[in-house]
Amino acid sequence: MLPAVAMAQTAPDTGILQLKYLDYRDWQPGADRMSVRSPAFYVLKPLSDTLAVEGALVYDSMSGASPLYFNTLSGASGVGITEYRTAGDVKVTRYLDGAAVGVGAAVSSERDYLSRAFSLDARISTADRNRTYAFGFGGAADVINSVNGVAENERRNTLDFLVGVTQALSANAILQSNLTYSSGHGYYSDPYKPLDHRPDQRRIFAWLTRYNQHLPDTDATLRLSYRYLHDSFGSTSNALEVAWFQPLPDGWSAAPDVRYYTQSAAYFYFNPPFPSGSVPGQFYTADTRLSAFGAFTLGVAVAKSLPDAWSASVKFEFYRQRSDWRPGGGSPGIDPLSARWIEFGIAKAF
Amino acid sequence: MHRMAGPILTALALLGSGCATLQPPQPWEKGQLARPEMQFDPDPLGARIQQHIYASKEAATGGYGVGGGGCGCN
Repeated sequence: MLPAVAMAQTAPDTGILQLKYLDYRDWQPGADRMSVRSPAFYVLKPLSDTLAVEGALVYDSMSGASPLYFNTLSGASGVGITEYRTAGDVKVTRYLDGAAVGVGAAVSSERDYLSRAFSLDARISTADRNRTYAFGFGGAADVINSVNGVAENERRNTLDFLVGVTQALSANAILQSNLTYSSGHGYYSDPYKPLDHRPDQRRIFAWLTRYNQHLPDTDATLRLSYRYLHDSFGSTSNALEVAWFQPLPDGWSAAPDVRYYTQSAAYFYFNPPFPSGSVPGQFYTADTRLSAFGAFTLGVAVAKSLPDAWSASVKFEFYRQRSDWRPGGGSPGIDPLSARWIEFGIAKAF
Repeated sequence: MHRMAGPILTALALLGSGCATLQPPQPWEKGQLARPEMQFDPDPLGARIQQHIYASKEAATGGYGVGGGGCGCN
């Protein structure tokens, strides 16, 4: 996902090079599910006073029993799968007087899935540079060819729209609020899940609000983020994130974070036992990702500035999903899901 | 929980934190706002990784930008 950048109305005066390595694992009671190892690379390079280019490459190597519940690939045989994903994106931004215009492209390729996307965005600032309006438009064309032959050359096309505003509230506080609307048509079923049959249209409305407050007494920064999202599949979700960035002596910093997320179930999700609720010709899924649940993430990132504009960081996150962590209750009959990931990073400004 | 309870709670939390008092900074007062931790995407690669992880485990996806494309993970 190409991020919607906040305030920058002038081209960056330094480049950034970032390398990360992700080690991810998830599990359910009594069963390891999936592990992912993923090197990733990002570069931002100013080309002139008014032009900058940025791009990222990610390579995921996934092994284990893939996602949740009645999956023909993980199957009764217990044989796991190994899957690879290569994703890259590039974006060029032209900076004008008090405005910026960006053009981006992205591609993500797996053995059974190819996605190609583009984006256009514009940011326009007020004369005092304290408020920036953002407008974005993007699209994606995806092709699905499942290895079991269920989905052959199936397509999915999506258009995205974004409007947003970023406001400097004071010398120590900044607020951003973005609305995005996404409309997609095509194949949404999971070809690896028997009887899975989903609508061929999906519309998503999201409202994201972020707020950063610098606290001069401790030199810390409080970072808040809230996303409300409604999906035409019938699922509504709330995600609240709080992070605390604390500079420490000798170039160290620590940033603990917590995230709470809840979602309601898609209207065509049916509780176990499989396949209760399935009626031929009607929408049906037993994919627990479309069930109702709550989830917590707890994490901490530690970083250290090094000589010659290098820096190093490590981030540890622990995630747990439980149906009874949703206020009012979640979907019954589902084991909790846990995950942990560790992200090692080095970066250099140049 | 009522559908709008989350947004309302967030708005209250923001009000309680003092951001309701609008004092836009003068040009010479923007030093703190320029710090990396005051940016909304200070770690673009980390944000991509995190959003990809959540998109693979949760029904909700999107809200952070446009034209990111899809993957077979959800």
